[in-house]
Amino acid sequence: MPKILLVEDNEMNRDMLSRRLQRKGYSVVTAEDGEKGLSLARSETPDLILMDISLPVMSGWEVTRLLKANESTRHIPIIALTAHAWVTDREKAIEAGCDDYDTKPVEFGRLSEKMENLLTVKK
Amino acid sequence: MILQNLSIKRKLTLITMLTSSIALILSSVSFLVYDLVSFRNLLRQDLVTQAEIIGYNSAGAMEFKDEPAATATLSALTAKEDIITAVLYKPDGKMFAHYFRTNRANPGFLPSHLQEKGYRFERGYLEVFQEVTMNGEHVGTLFLQSDMRQWSLRAKRYASILIIFVLVSGLFALFVSSKLQGLISKPILHLEDTMRMVSSNKNYAIRAVKTYSDEIGRLIDGFNTMLSEIQQRDTALQSTNGELKTRTQELEEEVFQRKQAQEELLNAKHAAEEANRAKSTFLANMSHELRTPLNAIIGYSEMLEEETRDTGKVENVQDLKKIQTAGKHLLSLINDVLDLSKIEAGKMGLHLEAFDVSQVIEEMVTTLQPAAAKNANSIHVHVAENVTVMKADITKVRQILFNLLSNACKFTDHGAISVDVDQIKVGDREWIQFKVSDTGIGISAKQKENLFHEFAQADASIARKYGGTGLGLAITHRFVQLMKGQINVESEPGQGATFTVQLPAQVVIETTESAPSKGAGDASAAFSETKTNQDTILVIDDDPSVRDLMSRFLTKLDFRVVAARNGEEGFRLAKQIRPLLITLDVVMPECDGWTVLNRLKSDSELAEIPVIMVTVVDNEARGLDLGASSYLIKPVERDRLAVLVEKHRVARSSTITDANAVPFAYVADGKAGRKIAGTKVSRTRRN
Repeated sequence: MPKILLVEDNEMNRDMLSRRLQRKGYSVVTAEDGEKGLSLARSETPDLILMDISLPVMSGWEVTRLLKANESTRHIPIIALTAHAWVTDREKAIEAGCDDYDTKPVEFGRLSEKMENLLTVKK
Repeated sequence: MILQNLSIKRKLTLITMLTSSIALILSSVSFLVYDLVSFRNLLRQDLVTQAEIIGYNSAGAMEFKDEPAATATLSALTAKEDIITAVLYKPDGKMFAHYFRTNRANPGFLPSHLQEKGYRFERGYLEVFQEVTMNGEHVGTLFLQSDMRQWSLRAKRYASILIIFVLVSGLFALFVSSKLQGLISKPILHLEDTMRMVSSNKNYAIRAVKTYSDEIGRLIDGFNTMLSEIQQRDTALQSTNGELKTRTQELEEEVFQRKQAQEELLNAKHAAEEANRAKSTFLANMSHELRTPLNAIIGYSEMLEEETRDTGKVENVQDLKKIQTAGKHLLSLINDVLDLSKIEAGKMGLHLEAFDVSQVIEEMVTTLQPAAAKNANSIHVHVAENVTVMKADITKVRQILFNLLSNACKFTDHGAISVDVDQIKVGDREWIQFKVSDTGIGISAKQKENLFHEFAQADASIARKYGGTGLGLAITHRFVQLMKGQINVESEPGQGATFTVQLPAQVVIETTESAPSKGAGDASAAFSETKTNQDTILVIDDDPSVRDLMSRFLTKLDFRVVAARNGEEGFRLAKQIRPLLITLDVVMPECDGWTVLNRLKSDSELAEIPVIMVTVVDNEARGLDLGASSYLIKPVERDRLAVLVEKHRVARSSTITDANAVPFAYVADGKAGRKIAGTKVSRTRRN
């Protein structure tokens, strides 16, 4: 049962996405800001992280950069989620080291496919 | 010298006076001289006559040596005042009788020797010698001496008269000349005054008054003519000056106004730019704000639908699906509005790259298969043989095709949709032509007019029946324009519709307004192509899953990927796009990897491109022998591949700088789109 860390500040989105992921059979850990996301990523060592980019306290790409710079967390695939239509967000996320990204509103089918891909590669 | 600087008045007076005085003096003196000379002659004659008389009277006395008689005769001379000496000499020269007016003998005055006869002027005295004869016999000599007293007196008197006369006439001349010189000097002085007035007052209206028609009169005429000429010119000059001044003022006014207008314009421009920025920010924020609740709406309804299905409450599923559809419609609307506003703000940039056209078509058709199936439509695709690679903004090409195809699916029921792709040549340019035809409801002539306008769906009822934002074709149209292509439609109501899009095979970003010369344009196109392909990797593999995997992995490393299905195509693409490097499979039908490698390395243009062998065949030695730079055995170790390709990457910083130099805001658009496409492809493969 792969463990997914969902970092998302919007409560509804967090709730909705985590429930759908659980229904899919994932075990889900959630964080509502970047800092908590970072500490959970380190303590829980999830199999995959879904990272909202515009986060309070610490931005998504900052968290990603830190995770990817650390030997113990580098291997965790990260999918960036961005609500902005502006391309610069995606660009920054990719540069920060995200393995993939998706735009919000999340099309669940597409997202779970991306997650599957990354989890499969990891195995 | 002093004379020369005298005033004309003085000069004239002086000249007149000098002339008259000199004439007077000359004539008077000549008269005086003449008078004095003739008076002297008269005196001489008189004295000679006197001497003759005395000589005659005293001849007897001399003859008879009667001295007292002779002396008496001589004494008679007392009456003659001017005779001062009278002496009678004997023939032997001795004095016989004498008379001295002063009663004193003055031997110094007596002649040293006797002359025969005659007169002489000696030391201011007139002296006469007279022979005394008696019956023709010489008895003695008479000597008379006159002091010419009368002559001197006369001379003195005459001189005084002359001087007085000259003085009086001089005064008279002075009077007359000073009166008459005005004839000449007055007009000249008047002219001078006039001149002074003109020059001191700068008043060219003053005229000199002409008195006489002489030379001075003509001078005055000339002067007046000159003045009036000057006055005319002065007036003309003044009016010109005035005009000039007015013009200058007008110009200054104009300059001022323009400056103001410029400032206003500048302010307006700043304001507009500010407003535009604000609008963009607002749109970005709004899109975020709108998407977040939409995210929840769509997400929860999807989740509810799944749960409802599980619990068997099928009657609610349809309603939940409607919520989803409405949400998705709203989302596409937001996306479209955002796209349009980006286009209008001029922020929609082009990210050009070379890509395989048929691959894109394949993707799109696969993506739209469900939509086609919904109305029981079939999709037929035909890509012409000569269509291979085009250089354009792949994301926008996808969106164009997606819009046209989804429209076709939407408006066609139980029909056929066909996609025809051709490469055509118009003039000296190559075009890729996409033709999307359907057998649907068609478009009327009136509907065609507004077809490509924003929010102009063919009919309001259509929106109700078929949905859609009415923005799809407007955006399609704008995208086509952005890439300098054309779009048009042929349709009859009920007869279906055919949309034709023509895009340049090599889309060029126009960086400068001025059209470059043909040679330069070609050069820059070649340059930009080189630049674009600096990070392009050509993947040659017959296995679609390997192609897909490789392209996704390499794309993630920020490379552009072009894939070839066989050796032949790979070689052709290599020639066409000159990639940064090539990954090459060995086991392929028809033309195997070894052959391709051989051909690549023996081609002078392609030999430089590094080739990484990616194969199941374990024959590294042969690969390296043939010129491959690396040899990887499948399944490929990702990290190893990453290290190998990174080695060949052109310094990324320089690529970024290059990309930023292109004046389009969202250069990364293409990359993002590619990733989405990548997932789409993978999904279609799973399906």
